[in-house]
Amino acid sequence: MRLDAVYRRDPDIVFRKISGECILVPIRRRVGDLDNIYTLNETAARIWELIDGRRTLAEIRDALAAEFAVPVQEAERDLLEYLAALRACAAVKEGPA
Amino acid sequence: MAHSFFSETTYSDFSASVHDKAVAQGLPVAAEIELTRHCNLRCGHCYNGPPKKEREMTTDQIRRLLDAMAEAGCLWVLLTGGEPLLRSDFPQIYLYAKKKGFIVSLFTNATLVTPQIADLLKEWPPFRVEVSLYGASRKVYEKVTGVAGCHAKCLKGIEMLRERNVSMELKTLVTKDNKGEIAQIQRFARERGLHHRFDAYINPRLDGSREPCRLRLTPEEVVALDLSSPARCDTWRQIYKDAWGAKIDLDHVYACTSNQWSFFVSAAGRMQACLMLPQPSCDVLRRPFLASWRELVRAVQGLKPANPGHKCYHCEMSALCYHCPAWAALENGDPESAVDFVCRSAHLRHHVFLEKGIIAKGGERYAEQDQANIPEADVV
Repeated sequence: MRLDAVYRRDPDIVFRKISGECILVPIRRRVGDLDNIYTLNETAARIWELIDGRRTLAEIRDALAAEFAVPVQEAERDLLEYLAALRACAAVKEGPA
Repeated sequence: MAHSFFSETTYSDFSASVHDKAVAQGLPVAAEIELTRHCNLRCGHCYNGPPKKEREMTTDQIRRLLDAMAEAGCLWVLLTGGEPLLRSDFPQIYLYAKKKGFIVSLFTNATLVTPQIADLLKEWPPFRVEVSLYGASRKVYEKVTGVAGCHAKCLKGIEMLRERNVSMELKTLVTKDNKGEIAQIQRFARERGLHHRFDAYINPRLDGSREPCRLRLTPEEVVALDLSSPARCDTWRQIYKDAWGAKIDLDHVYACTSNQWSFFVSAAGRMQACLMLPQPSCDVLRRPFLASWRELVRAVQGLKPANPGHKCYHCEMSALCYHCPAWAALENGDPESAVDFVCRSAHLRHHVFLEKGIIAKGGERYAEQDQANIPEADVV
């Protein structure tokens, strides 16, 4: 993945914060099966917010490193790992919003 | 940073965890919204009674309510009525709720399902649609619902949803008029791969009329209906076993925990603890949502038993009983009273279940029951 790439969230997946739990709720047909729910940890929830179709991956990485006070390399590794998981379930797509 | 970014948890585990937290933190995570009191059917057993002229929430008011609920962390929304599909703005309301990220369910009689509604539910799937099916035959269905021609519409509606694989369950309120068709309704459901449930508990009308009560089964018929379903007997057995020795709540008239995590909004925009409990209530359209919720919980939780010695609080059959203080208030004007029909059904259930070895005193089961040993139905 190129770090100058921009990703956007699938509009058919809604982020909700319920009783302190951050979750992704699929709302449209292809993702409507609720056998399983995805709950996000704090980092993942922040990455989901930052994937806004405007920021590049490099900008998101730098924001994470600053906010969580971790080295840039660590933030980059986590970002790319999570993004790969989100791409695998088609929750994000490359390109601006 | 943590490396386990997101975890996949089963829906039931997630739901249980959220409900536990909601009770502990006093959060409104689940709602029932009555979109209208009007209905196209005229069921004699209905708690709503004949339609009245009443101001109902507008589309915009419902949208604003959903906004506030989402903001407050509500996740589950049930859209109900009356018949919610009577509202011409149902598609807009439904889609709005879906796009806010609510887990949406729908109660309907299915007679007003159109290809457009069915397509909407296919494209934007509800968590579940629950369809009331009041009879297997046209004659019985239309005797219960009081409207000619609606049986065919109901079946067509069910079929349209089924063709589109919309998550759906069937349910039946058993009355004197349809008690003979429960087995046929169950067969109808089974043949279509649909889950079906039933109960025989008819409430008085919310306006106080006891007219629906004349359609109740006898306690003997209610218990025979239990015995007709091995799964139902097993559920009762488990409930009875689990409840044995549980602490009696003498601090609250309304001891059920649901009023600590769920609420009902009437078609006119009044927030209540549940449908059956019209008071206390508050106008959720005019007041901030969370303030209304907190005020309501405080008011309901603040109702203390005036008669802690009342038999229902200490009854060893309470786990086999549908006793509900809101129902008692509706039936007798006193939440701390017994509803005779419910009470007699519970006593008989207790007696028969003990006799047949389905339950044992002390909550322990007798020898493991083979399901085949549970008697077949003799209701009708």
